[in-house]
Amino acid sequence: MPTFEDVWMNLQSEEMRFSLTLSLITGLISSVLVMLFSLPIGFALSRLRFPGKGIVRTIMDLPIAFPELVLGLCLILLFGKTPIGAALKSIGINFVFTQEGVVVAQFFTALPYAIRIMKSTFDFISPRMEFISRSLGYTQFETFIKVSLPLAGKGILAASVIAFARCIGTFGTVLILAGGSYMKTETLPVTLYLNISYGNMGMALTSGLLLVAVSFAAIFVFEMTEVKL
Amino acid sequence: MYKSKLRVLTIFMFCLFFLGLTSVVKAEELRIFSGAGLMKPMEELRQNFEKKNNVTISVHYGSSGEIFGMMSMGQTCDVFIPGAEKYTNDAVKNGWLYKPSIIKIVKHIPVIVVPAGNPLNIKSLDDLARPGLKVALCDPKSAAIGKVSKKLLGKCKLWKKVEPNVVVFAPTCNQLLIYTALDQADATINWLDVTTWAEGRGKVQTIKIDPARNMIKTIPTALHISAKDNPLAVKLNDYIASSEGMAVWEKWGFEACTR
Repeated sequence: MPTFEDVWMNLQSEEMRFSLTLSLITGLISSVLVMLFSLPIGFALSRLRFPGKGIVRTIMDLPIAFPELVLGLCLILLFGKTPIGAALKSIGINFVFTQEGVVVAQFFTALPYAIRIMKSTFDFISPRMEFISRSLGYTQFETFIKVSLPLAGKGILAASVIAFARCIGTFGTVLILAGGSYMKTETLPVTLYLNISYGNMGMALTSGLLLVAVSFAAIFVFEMTEVKL
Repeated sequence: MYKSKLRVLTIFMFCLFFLGLTSVVKAEELRIFSGAGLMKPMEELRQNFEKKNNVTISVHYGSSGEIFGMMSMGQTCDVFIPGAEKYTNDAVKNGWLYKPSIIKIVKHIPVIVVPAGNPLNIKSLDDLARPGLKVALCDPKSAAIGKVSKKLLGKCKLWKKVEPNVVVFAPTCNQLLIYTALDQADATINWLDVTTWAEGRGKVQTIKIDPARNMIKTIPTALHISAKDNPLAVKLNDYIASSEGMAVWEKWGFEACTR
């Protein structure tokens, strides 16, 4: 078993610092993107009636049931040698085996969870408030920004924290789409996996502990903020 | 009424617990630590041996580095089969394996693997250094083929030229095969036998590496030091290298070592 000194030494290693930094940066970018998408999607699924809504909701929830590896395979097929992949490459964007791919992998893994939370949040907010706001002259968009969003504060916070935790913990999708390359697309869960495959248990355990610590910090901040709201 | 229900429930839980305990105590079980790239023949060998000897065998597949690391953490197996001899020799040095039980089974031959049709007309290792080519390799610290690829390219003075072309270092040879089959890399270096799998059939093409440059490895099987006196483990180790076992290895694209 690695000692406390081993863990401390591992924490200061270049690989661990790289991995933690990459995880935090990509996790933050992905979470912001997830929230930007999940707010309107969650609102639309909660408030709007349109044909095929059941199908849309099922498709949105599908990735929750997928093993992450399947999602990774789907994404590599989507962004690989397809017209979509080629179009993105022509404007200089490449999601396969790159750090941008890490963000995309995390985004698609965390998005369904955030959408679910946002939809339930808007389900619990009485539409009466929105009707009153509309009758007093706000447009639908102004109502969404000035009435619905402030009322959904707690839900937004919860969805952000869950999205961030999912992004940080995403493994299979990142491994397949971004390749899980040492010191290139290496996020904390990938560090854990790579070091198990290197037979380096000390580093593997340290990255595991670090993952727990980051998730704990995120959820603790959430609990504290929720009390204040 | 509530108490009697609770009593019934407690008794039921105890019964379940004992059932669980008794199911743990069952026929002998053997454990194999195997390189991930040997999955196909190992699964067939496992099933054959299980049927004949009425035992259950659990196989842990991982990169050679991983299964070596598991032994270093004190985990035991009965039979150890990595992707290259080096791991077995190192394990013997560390006192984990029983040296007299080592049997060399098959050759592990590195080849260049490209998407079917060889669209970029790759002929030799030198072509991997072409500017702009997307090369995928295995992680040298993780899989046996990764270590071999790096050594091989280093020996030919190509590593420094090829390294900038490497878009991904995959942790196992299986993942590397998937990337080639999905046309995500222009060229990879992988084991010849892996390309015979259904996953790559019709989707990948192999290019032989010049024998003067190539580094052909041997796959040995060996007994863990804790299993050296277990007749069933000895039988399994021998079976893997027997003529019947060799037929399975050859079926999956391996070449027998001339013993």
